[in-house]
Amino acid sequence: MFENFPILSLLLIVPLIGSMMTFAAGKHAKAARYLALVFSGITLVIATLIIMNFSLSAPLGTEFQFDEAYDWVPMLGISYHLGVDGISMLMVFLSALLVFLAILFSWDVEERTSSYMGLMLLLDVGVLGVFTALDYFLFYIFWEVVLIPMYFLIAIWGGPSRAYASIKFFIYTHVASLFMLLGIFALYFTASPLLGAPSFDMIEIASVSGDIGHALQLIIYAALFFGFIVKMPMVPFHTWLPDAHVQAPTAGSVLLAGLLLKMGSYGIIRICVFTFPDITVEAQVLIAIIGVLSIVYGAFACLAQTDLKKMVAYSSISHMGIVLLGIATLTDLGMAAAVFQMFAHGLITAVLFMTCGMFQHKAGTREIPLLGGLAPKVPVLSTVMMIGFMASLGLPGLVGFVAEFSVFTATYDFFDLWVIVPIASVALTAAYYIWAMQRSIFGSLTTKIDTEHIHDAYWFETVPLAVLIGLIALFGIYPRLVMDIIVPSIPRILTGVI
Amino acid sequence: MMYWSELAWLIPIIPLISFVVVGFLGNKAFKRIENGGYFAILMAAVACFLSLMVAFEILTGGYPGGTFIQSMNWMTVPGFTFNMGIYIDTLTALMLIVVSFISTLVVIYSVGYMHEEGEKKRRYYAEISLFICAMLGLVLSSNFLQMFIFWEIVGLCSYLLIGFWNTKPSAASAAKKAFLVTRIGDIMFMLGLFIFFVWFQGNLDFSYIFNNVDAFLGGNDLLTLGTFFIFGGAIGKSAQFPLHDWLPDAMEGPTTVSALIHAATMVKAGVYLVARTYPVMVETPNTMLIIAIIGGITALMAATMALNNPNIKRVLAYSTISQLGYMFLALGTGGYLFFHTQETNAGFMSGMFHLMNHAFFKALLFLSAGAVIHAVHTEDMRLMGGLSKKLKITSLVMLIGCISIAGIPPLSGFWSKDEILAVVFETGAENPLFYVLYIMGILTAFMTAFYMFRLWYMTFAGEPRDHHVYDHAHESPKVMWVPLAILAALAFGSGFALFFGFSEAIQPTMFHPHAETWTQILEIVFTDVLTYLSIIAAVLGIFLAYLMYRKRSINPDVFVATPARRKIYGLLLARYGFTAAYDWIGLKVVYGVAKAVDWFDRKVIDGIVNGFAIVTIKVGNIVRRGQTGFVQSYAALVVAGVSIIVILLFLFGGVI
Repeated sequence: MFENFPILSLLLIVPLIGSMMTFAAGKHAKAARYLALVFSGITLVIATLIIMNFSLSAPLGTEFQFDEAYDWVPMLGISYHLGVDGISMLMVFLSALLVFLAILFSWDVEERTSSYMGLMLLLDVGVLGVFTALDYFLFYIFWEVVLIPMYFLIAIWGGPSRAYASIKFFIYTHVASLFMLLGIFALYFTASPLLGAPSFDMIEIASVSGDIGHALQLIIYAALFFGFIVKMPMVPFHTWLPDAHVQAPTAGSVLLAGLLLKMGSYGIIRICVFTFPDITVEAQVLIAIIGVLSIVYGAFACLAQTDLKKMVAYSSISHMGIVLLGIATLTDLGMAAAVFQMFAHGLITAVLFMTCGMFQHKAGTREIPLLGGLAPKVPVLSTVMMIGFMASLGLPGLVGFVAEFSVFTATYDFFDLWVIVPIASVALTAAYYIWAMQRSIFGSLTTKIDTEHIHDAYWFETVPLAVLIGLIALFGIYPRLVMDIIVPSIPRILTGVI
Repeated sequence: MMYWSELAWLIPIIPLISFVVVGFLGNKAFKRIENGGYFAILMAAVACFLSLMVAFEILTGGYPGGTFIQSMNWMTVPGFTFNMGIYIDTLTALMLIVVSFISTLVVIYSVGYMHEEGEKKRRYYAEISLFICAMLGLVLSSNFLQMFIFWEIVGLCSYLLIGFWNTKPSAASAAKKAFLVTRIGDIMFMLGLFIFFVWFQGNLDFSYIFNNVDAFLGGNDLLTLGTFFIFGGAIGKSAQFPLHDWLPDAMEGPTTVSALIHAATMVKAGVYLVARTYPVMVETPNTMLIIAIIGGITALMAATMALNNPNIKRVLAYSTISQLGYMFLALGTGGYLFFHTQETNAGFMSGMFHLMNHAFFKALLFLSAGAVIHAVHTEDMRLMGGLSKKLKITSLVMLIGCISIAGIPPLSGFWSKDEILAVVFETGAENPLFYVLYIMGILTAFMTAFYMFRLWYMTFAGEPRDHHVYDHAHESPKVMWVPLAILAALAFGSGFALFFGFSEAIQPTMFHPHAETWTQILEIVFTDVLTYLSIIAAVLGIFLAYLMYRKRSINPDVFVATPARRKIYGLLLARYGFTAAYDWIGLKVVYGVAKAVDWFDRKVIDGIVNGFAIVTIKVGNIVRRGQTGFVQSYAALVVAGVSIIVILLFLFGGVI
């Protein structure tokens, strides 16, 4: 249907135009809201059209589809090259979905509405660009584009210590990006002679990267890998995340955890594993250790938190650790499950952050010791919280379980009974969620806050949550819908490994 | 030709409809009809009807080949196949009967028991429907992964229903404990699944595994570990030592929930899991030995804790744990014996037989206790007494339950308990350890008879101890006592299934069961001296309870007369310190580590990050002095910088 139609470019242009128009709406908050909703809605429709036209049959299922390549700066080998495989396809859909729902969820933002909405759409452009770019130069540009709107979202609409959190977020991840940039340039300068012509093209570079000297490969790999794991973020490079989340506005947190973290793991799969299979195999155990450390450390840290949102932030670290562990197995199952977990975590974490935001909004606090016994007061919010927590702790029938179970199976397959270490975290995860629920919505009604005028969910909160929960259940009950998209793309990523 | 089994996939779907309709379609539609209660009954009854039809078809050999298998692909990744499907053999059929029938009775009973709960009833009926769906799905599963999925969902329902009165802190706390403690078992179950998954080449289907067990035997250690971990799941779910401590707390839920989930069905899931895995389990005798030992320990230990507890539901909870221990003892012993002798034995059959009988008489006992609680609004037996005058039907049906569980012939409990003890004794010839287990079993039988009749006498016999409680007591409505009467009939007579080919029907094919006539069975049972030993144990227990709590010729206070006795008495009430130990592990160890990690995170890791920032600012302040404002010095720096870059490029790449 879209053989010669630049649908991916359209996917990037629509939110960009939307962003400009929304900024232009200025003081007309209502117009800005509707503009943002419409444009993000169109983006979601386009993403859905792409996924529906995405071919799963071999050999098409194993190639990049909707490929667009134009020379940009031919002298330097920079091209405008877009394309999607199953892995990026899912991320594209997730991005379009979450931005749309986050905009709807932010319906009651009154402060500088047009800027807020415009930044969200700009963020959409950046994230979609990262997931579709097949040229290093383009990839890096989009990567940096993402940073800016998120910085402003935290710095302007954030909590009391937003200045500290936003600057920390910006500097920390920017330093990591610079390492990545150095890695990209080194890769460019070493691969170009081997190719005979300058090129930033990911696929072309990957075809010769094996011929680069081992030591240099290792240095480039380290620079890129560092850039990515800071973004994921993995222990011990994670401390920007809890601060950023605690201060960020709800929609900002949804996109930060739902999409920005995925850029890191996506980079590892698309670039590190694909371009440097040999180094990946050498570093396999180290990667697995970083993953397991993040899983267990994150889970313990969760248990100690008293702020609901900070707990959810640490749980992201733990669950992204599962992604890294899946990647580290370097098996079909582990890699596919890692991608599945990225998708699952995106859906689930959106529910979790929305729940936290609603507590802040309605009860005026997210401090667990101040809450208690709220279930009869806010039944919808409590039910949503419970479903979100259950999904996140890996309850079967919901999407998180499929990913977790598959990653751990692959871990056992490859690392034998070492799987006991990460799987013990399953009990910890259950513990912090169940305990948090016991203290915040069950038991006797709290007297520490005013519960007289507490209001249950509004429609613009219920609708996005209902959509997300519907998808969480759908893909949990019938995971083939997602897995069949992922699986054909895995062998290419792992070609050099096996 | 159409078979009922082809409709089996509908069985879990029907209560699922009830869950969705009652749970999500609002209060208004159901206000008039018991907030969804009648709809839940209807759906449970339809599922029950279908289940009975399917079970009947399978048990009578109406389906060609005997085992009905249906399967669809759930997810495929190279090397691993995940399926979902239906697997019905006679074992499934037995579970279908037990689960669907008791579920239906409990939901009917709930209309009376939960009548006063108002709008909350809708949540109750929705959650109990979800439970019925998941439990039926669990027994119908065609592979281990699917079974695990439903296994977790019944756990969720258990969590939700224990915490039904969630504004009560003790209920919320009990729900948490149930979820987390069983989660430990679930992790072991998962480990077992990984081992099976890889061992059986990426396929967890029962049919595939059972057909290929022989092909994969060899390096037996790993398989032993696998079956042990699978059993670990059962330890959590079926509340076996040392993960038993959540079940007494689970009594915080409504009594109907205790009867259905924590006595008759969900806690049996562990037993069912071991029975289901039997073709693999019997190849790993060490696991079988462990199962038997854990079962024996649990049976005895839980029985001792029931001896002096004043709470009517807690006594029944300990009793449930104890009886589940019997079932594991039977399964473990049977498998161990089979591995060593390759001979048919009653281990498997008696375990499953006891599962069925126990489901009926324990559901009866719990629901009767519920009728008492409903009448007197207390669970403390010290405030009861003399209630048989007011609750005639309840006292009578509960007496039947007590006699049955005590093991007095010809009631159902006798037949299965006797078979279990017989096979344990027989296995003593292979391994003397089983003689010890046999003695533990006999002791348990004695204590069981004692604490059950203590319960009955304290509740129903003698003079009322609290007149306020007594005066307000009233017999339950019909909607409650009719299900009780049906269960009483089953508690009386389900043991006779033994004479109608239960044994041959239920045995796995590897046992090559052979048919015995009812006269042969009677002859075997009543010519064995062991039979009389277990009857005597039961009668002695009843007699002791009679002397202490009816005739009062022995004062119960003798057990707290000296400090040493009081210590033992207190130890039993404190559940041997398990509760305290769990709290200590949770609050001190795990939470302590969490606190330490949090401190480390804020002070050390983030401290280093912030340290970098501070150093950078300081260095910046120094370097700032270089910002002289003279263009010449800037130009010099630019030239120097470019030179360095060019040199670096020349060294590394040679491009440009």
